[in-house]
Amino acid sequence: MAWVTWRQHRHQLLIGLALIAALALAALVTGLPMRTAYQREALSSCLPPTARSGCDIIVRHFQSEFGNRVDVAGYLILLPALVGMFVGAPLLARELEHGTHRFAWTQSLTRRRWLLSKTLLLALAVVLGGAVLSAIVMWWRQPFDGLQGRMSPSGFEIQGLVVPAYALFALALGVLAGAALRRSLAAMSLTLAVFVAVRLAVANFLRPHYRSPEHETMAGLVPGAHARDWVLSNALVDAVGRQITSAREDLAVLHAQQARIDPQEYLLSLGWRRALSFQPADRFWTFQAIEAGIFVTLAAALLAATVWLLRRSPS
Amino acid sequence: MSAPLVLHRVGKRYRRRWALRDCSLSVPERAIVGLAGPNGAGKSTLLGLAVGLLAPTEGRVEVLGRDPWLEPDVLAGVGYVAREAPLYRSFSVRDTIEFARATNPGWDWSIASEYLTRLDPDQRVSALTAGERSRLALAVALGKRPAIVLLDEPFERLDPLAAREFLQLLMDGVSELEATVVLASHVIADIERVSDHIVLLGDGHVRLDGSAEELIATHRLLTGAARPLGRIAGVEEIVRRRHSARQMTLLVRIDGQVVDPSWSVDEIGLEDLLLAYMAPERLPGPQEPERGRLRWHG
Repeated sequence: MAWVTWRQHRHQLLIGLALIAALALAALVTGLPMRTAYQREALSSCLPPTARSGCDIIVRHFQSEFGNRVDVAGYLILLPALVGMFVGAPLLARELEHGTHRFAWTQSLTRRRWLLSKTLLLALAVVLGGAVLSAIVMWWRQPFDGLQGRMSPSGFEIQGLVVPAYALFALALGVLAGAALRRSLAAMSLTLAVFVAVRLAVANFLRPHYRSPEHETMAGLVPGAHARDWVLSNALVDAVGRQITSAREDLAVLHAQQARIDPQEYLLSLGWRRALSFQPADRFWTFQAIEAGIFVTLAAALLAATVWLLRRSPS
Repeated sequence: MSAPLVLHRVGKRYRRRWALRDCSLSVPERAIVGLAGPNGAGKSTLLGLAVGLLAPTEGRVEVLGRDPWLEPDVLAGVGYVAREAPLYRSFSVRDTIEFARATNPGWDWSIASEYLTRLDPDQRVSALTAGERSRLALAVALGKRPAIVLLDEPFERLDPLAAREFLQLLMDGVSELEATVVLASHVIADIERVSDHIVLLGDGHVRLDGSAEELIATHRLLTGAARPLGRIAGVEEIVRRRHSARQMTLLVRIDGQVVDPSWSVDEIGLEDLLLAYMAPERLPGPQEPERGRLRWHG
């Protein structure tokens, strides 16, 4: 089956390799100047615990110079969806559309073996591709991860273990959509929609609770100390812990400005504090492992569902 | 070995419509079986059940003694060419054969190569003519050294010359492999030309099942003056009747000699016999029989 899989998916495989090569080149071209600047400005000495004086300006300058590159890299979250749409969805749908399943499934191999060997070989390729991509991004984002951390979604979702796991999930989702809908285009659309929905649901409703978040009430109003953590909520509370509405905060600031007092000091003098809840940066690998585990499990469940569907669907 | 294909009271339902119902038949070993019937009679469904692409709704299908749906391993001994001979269009001829070799452990290159002598191995399947494509599909089906070969409308898109050539290749291959063949076609002439055993399907039921000689020997056309019909000695069943004001023609199944001198008794050709069974109960309008050989369909 290795030859069959290669012959039927060689274009996709070559496009995937070309894409990874192009991304590696882009990472090299844009990443090297970033690392050079990082070294030149000695930004490592500005990392949160030991900020020296003048760091504010250096960090801000570095971020404004390279920040848009990081934003662009955020689009890499789309790559797993593409795997599901263009590799997963047509896998069965194309065969069923063209009637070639009547040819493929009436050879000596059972259709279950046909499906499993093809899907698992492609899964292997997808996981390898995802791992390489993840490694490239980890190298490229290193300077930024030092400053901003990689715990918040924009950094968390394009590196580490989750990248191959997302791709694996998208692949299995596409294959199941193809088996259920039997039409490539419909399967591709469904794959994209469900992939986005599941990813958003996990990121917003599950990930914040993998471990119970830590809480801290700070005297200072600027939460600079938590730059590398994933801040889940950041609220202003009064001396007894009740939350201050933003309308009241605005009113207080306005009042301070009219009285020509520094607003921050005025708020402090009222006894108001910042209450943060956050996931600390050192939980990165724990969270990566949990999230990757969730998506790999989902992928396995979807593959099982596909086998079951294929078992009973009339052809 | 027992019969290579057995259906025992098989039914297959698609949503609300029954494509096959209460079908029982047993295909004799090494026979060339013609599976006849109009479009929609259930021929493709029957073959689909035999290769495990479909599961029967009721009843039992046995191919080479095993259930193809529950034990798909049995497909190693079944050669199947689906309707319109589906192949991967982007594959070259060489790729297609490589695919067959990779998916069939018992692949026999020497058999398949006989069919490929006139095909360019680098040609894409999408560029092949209908005849070349059928030949390639047949090469794949026979290259796995099947004990039974199932063909769904193999002549449908072939011109007469290509059809004849295809048939010749099929017969050569089958006799070398000593395989049983089931060939579905809605063209009666094709069936008559190749089959030594006929199964006629209509509306999802088996209408006729027997060897060609058997069917011809047990049916007669009776022609005589129109009259009220009672029992006729030697006639087991009146299959179809047709009459004008004065004359009456009956297609009957006989269980003895029809000796009644008021009927003129003729044999009926296989093609006419099958067409008569496929025709609706009563043919409209009075028709005079043709001169010369009697035909059911004028």
